[in-house]
Amino acid sequence: MSADLHVRAHQFIAKERVEGLAQAEREWLGAHLQECARCAEFARQTEQALRSLRTAAIPFPSGLASRTQFRVRLRAQELREREPHRRALWLACAVSWACGIFSAPYVWRLFEWFGQLTGMPKLVWELGFGLWWTIPVLFAAVVLLMENARYSDEAGWMR
Amino acid sequence: MGDEAKAIARGLQRRDPDLLDRLIEQYQYRLFRYLVYITGNKERAEDFFQETWIRVLERGHQYDGRSRFEAWLFAIARHLVIDWQRAKKTQSLDALTDPEQEHPLQFANENEPSPLHQVLSQEKEENVQASLEKIPAIYREVLVLRFQEELRIDEMAGVLSIPVSTVKSRLYRGLEALRGALPGGTA
Repeated sequence: MSADLHVRAHQFIAKERVEGLAQAEREWLGAHLQECARCAEFARQTEQALRSLRTAAIPFPSGLASRTQFRVRLRAQELREREPHRRALWLACAVSWACGIFSAPYVWRLFEWFGQLTGMPKLVWELGFGLWWTIPVLFAAVVLLMENARYSDEAGWMR
Repeated sequence: MGDEAKAIARGLQRRDPDLLDRLIEQYQYRLFRYLVYITGNKERAEDFFQETWIRVLERGHQYDGRSRFEAWLFAIARHLVIDWQRAKKTQSLDALTDPEQEHPLQFANENEPSPLHQVLSQEKEENVQASLEKIPAIYREVLVLRFQEELRIDEMAGVLSIPVSTVKSRLYRGLEALRGALPGGTA
């Protein structure tokens, strides 16, 4: 029997377990295994190896599930408590934006007046007016970063 | 699968504590076993087990119920392990990500029984543990996902964030390694 046939049989034995065989391939392999004791032994060893893998037992630590359930419930509670805080933060940002829009003409005049008072170039106080609008976003970002930093410290138990 | 996965997705959106309790009980053994195989350490697997479920709670809204829950769960667990490895830098991240990497997870002292050995030998599975220890982590992982967890190849590709073709090639190599690692193996 040609060595190529054995190589092909070995490939099919692996393929059968990994992704399955087409009908014709399965028939060819079945016929080959009936004739070739060496390849049949190879197939048996493969099957035995996989059976050993499937039946390998790992003891589950007692109490791990209940400890985890407890931690998850605590964390869920913490998240629920943080939700109103988050909502309040976004609400404050929204109100701040709304106030910003309505007060824009006055703020513009204020910047203009301050620019003229200090003799500052027009571009500088215009830039300052532009930056004025980023204050709510910066404030929200700082609060969120502080919150996340605190959370990271709390979650640092694993490290 | 569809209805159950959708129900889980809805429960996770609500952060339903009863659902999470049930999921922890239902998947406890499978998740723990997977973590032991990819970390090679029982204590570390326990830490990751808890952290995985915390992450499920926090990121539950990202699960859409279109895939099997266990595939999403294993992906979360795996990412946590990889993040931890990256942070600790005690070993190359490639041990779990590079298909050409030849080295298994590195244990503290190769002359002493490894943690994986200790975990498995408690169940008198000497042959299996000896075989699995010889197999590089990336192949051990695909073997576990495919033949223990019975994930489909496309699901495995999702969990491992690699192409289907890479999953297949790792499976073929893993199978060869497993067979070769068994006493009296042919490889």
